[in-house]
Amino acid sequence: MTDETIAEKAERLTQRRARVLFALAVLYLAQQASYFSRYDGAPRTVDAVKISAWLVLSIVMLIGITTKGFWFQPKEVRDLIDDENTRANRTAAMRAGFFLAMLAAIGTYVLTMFEPVSGREAVHIILSVGIGAALLRLAILERNAHRNG
Amino acid sequence: MAERLANALKERRGELGLTQAELADRVGVTRKTINTVENGVFTPSALLAIKLAKALSVPVETLFWVER
Repeated sequence: MTDETIAEKAERLTQRRARVLFALAVLYLAQQASYFSRYDGAPRTVDAVKISAWLVLSIVMLIGITTKGFWFQPKEVRDLIDDENTRANRTAAMRAGFFLAMLAAIGTYVLTMFEPVSGREAVHIILSVGIGAALLRLAILERNAHRNG
Repeated sequence: MAERLANALKERRGELGLTQAELADRVGVTRKTINTVENGVFTPSALLAIKLAKALSVPVETLFWVER
């Protein structure tokens, strides 16, 4: 048993979150790049599994970005982790995600003028860009906030 | 011309011999928030600015000022 205080625990968890968020953002975006580079339009069972995995991951990431997170930690720790700076970083991340999702929507719309894009593909692109951008922005802001301490 | 909120947080904290973590503990935020305020990366709310001034026993206008 350790004598870790609430502040120490919050500090440790926020540092870990900064590292994990960055890895998750890269992983999430790389997964989408791999999905679209191999996609040939023909429906396959393996694609259904991949899409389901992507959908679950997207929902988890979305909840992670928009909420305090650390659901299994005590309320005091969660409140401290979600302090003013974290809330500001989260807001900035969501703004970046929304902006890039809109750009992706415009890009997809333009793309449909030259090549057919299904509704599912369009949603996949817009959702992935929006969530991926927000995740990456949050990871960068959180990592920078810990630097030069 | 752009304006920014400058602060003497690091200097005042140093005078009192407090670490970032100790100051963070006093005002109920993480060390990360103190770090970003000190480095001018993050502009604190009025609430946090007042809490910081109180924790460092100085008037808020001594701790924070507008820089052009």
